[in-house]
Amino acid sequence: MLDSVVAAETPEGIVLELRPAGLSARFYAFLFDWLIRLVVFYAAAFVGRFLGGIGVAFWIVLFFALEWFYPVFFELGRSGATPGKRAFGLKVVMDNGLPVTPAASLTRNLLRVADFLPAAYGFAIVSMLTRSDCKRLGDLAAATLVVHQSKPAPKVVLDMVTPLAPARPLEQRDQAAVIALAARAPTLSVERLDELAALAASVSGDEGRSGPEVTRRVLGVAQWLMGRRT
Amino acid sequence: MTPLQFEELYQTEWQELAGLLAKAFDGKSQDGKHAQIRGERVAALYRRACEHLALARARAYPAYLLERLEQLTSDAHQLIYQRHDFGLASLRRVITADFPRAVRAHAAYVWIATALLVVPTIVIGSLVYYKPELILSVVSAETAAQYEQMYSDSAESIGRTRTADTDWMMFGFYISHNVGIAFQCFAGGLFGGLGSIFFLLYNGAIFGAIAGYLTERGLASTFFSFVVTHGAFELTAIVLSGAAGLRLGHALLAPGRRTRVQSLVHAAKECSVIVYGLTAMLFIAAGIEAFWSSASWLPHEVKYSVAAACWIAVLGYLTFQGRRAD
Repeated sequence: MLDSVVAAETPEGIVLELRPAGLSARFYAFLFDWLIRLVVFYAAAFVGRFLGGIGVAFWIVLFFALEWFYPVFFELGRSGATPGKRAFGLKVVMDNGLPVTPAASLTRNLLRVADFLPAAYGFAIVSMLTRSDCKRLGDLAAATLVVHQSKPAPKVVLDMVTPLAPARPLEQRDQAAVIALAARAPTLSVERLDELAALAASVSGDEGRSGPEVTRRVLGVAQWLMGRRT
Repeated sequence: MTPLQFEELYQTEWQELAGLLAKAFDGKSQDGKHAQIRGERVAALYRRACEHLALARARAYPAYLLERLEQLTSDAHQLIYQRHDFGLASLRRVITADFPRAVRAHAAYVWIATALLVVPTIVIGSLVYYKPELILSVVSAETAAQYEQMYSDSAESIGRTRTADTDWMMFGFYISHNVGIAFQCFAGGLFGGLGSIFFLLYNGAIFGAIAGYLTERGLASTFFSFVVTHGAFELTAIVLSGAAGLRLGHALLAPGRRTRVQSLVHAAKECSVIVYGLTAMLFIAAGIEAFWSSASWLPHEVKYSVAAACWIAVLGYLTFQGRRAD
């Protein structure tokens, strides 16, 4: 299996699929957060200059808070993600798919120090590249995952195709494959769609042939399988 | 049943659940709305949606339908099983029971961490006291001179000319510096405890060297009256962070009947309450250090009495608080 899906079973007996975010997505999110922190930090330095000692104190405490608690603050919020993670559609959850707990968020962010070693997040990178669930050391200890927030799949729209009964009885797997092809149809180029439809041509009784007409007939079968008869 | 019939049949239930979820997630920001959601209806619809998802998967329905149901169930799952352990009640429980109990549960680690901090303090301290030139092998000449000047009786020394502004500045500095050290000490435990051991020994050695050096210079009274009060919170907190780090390291090295990762997760969960507590202690320490310890116009008797009270309070709190069952 090439997919790096982590399955989390709920007490209701269904399996939620969590898609762990890889190194590159997390790196961009980190970079984004780092830039935000940099901007806030310099803005505070600018304001702090006019306030004397209290300004400096404020600035130092802010630096400290940004360094250690910036991620904790946002991860415990409603979205469960820092602004950077949100921008790249990522989110921190527990291993079982639940929202991250305060203790876990604190743990994973304090252990960032260990992840940073020996230099430039060396251990974090090695750990994320060697594990299929892409956890860094802090995630391991806190039992958290950084996952892609799922976007709803587009609905299968095949209104312009007339339904067609399959030429032979289809197994459930075959039915699923034909419907999946129909679902992907809007995202494929016409030529590629024809090519793929040619592979499935047997469902509409068009073995060995290909072309726009065959594609239309295969999509018609998909339409029929979805339950539309007219 | 075809996918379209399936969707047709149950879609009203899904829409109702999605509506309730949207209301629950939005309603939190404004009061009142939140209370209107009927929990049992959400739970019932959620269980129905779970059934539908299981059916849809078993029948290999198209991806959009599966993903719609997956999205719905996972959102509801997040809402139903989310923890509500933020409030003031749990904060009170951490302070009155959980934190000191967790410390006592890790007594062995706390004693080892104490030894790792105190032994180098005493050894290096007495070495430097008898052979002051040894200070140069611990800190640089400039640092040594700086410390000497800081605690000297001259006009520039601590607390003589300091204004409220500087007090605040030092407060900020102490917080970021000390909490940073404590967190590093904790995180270092992830390397089989070696990081924690290193930070404890290192900080003990530096502290010992400076104490020994200043005592030899005859500045003991300024120095000790300065450090003794906030030390009750600060040194204890550093020891606790080291102890938590040692616990992590031990969990990794000797996982027992768990896998290493499970053992680490378990240890980290148990230690997190210690980390809350020690962070609070370091904030208190920074406040005392910036606003009380530095006030050198206070007579030493007052300072030492307050310091004694602080030490008794801290050690008494960690030893006796929360012993009785709830």
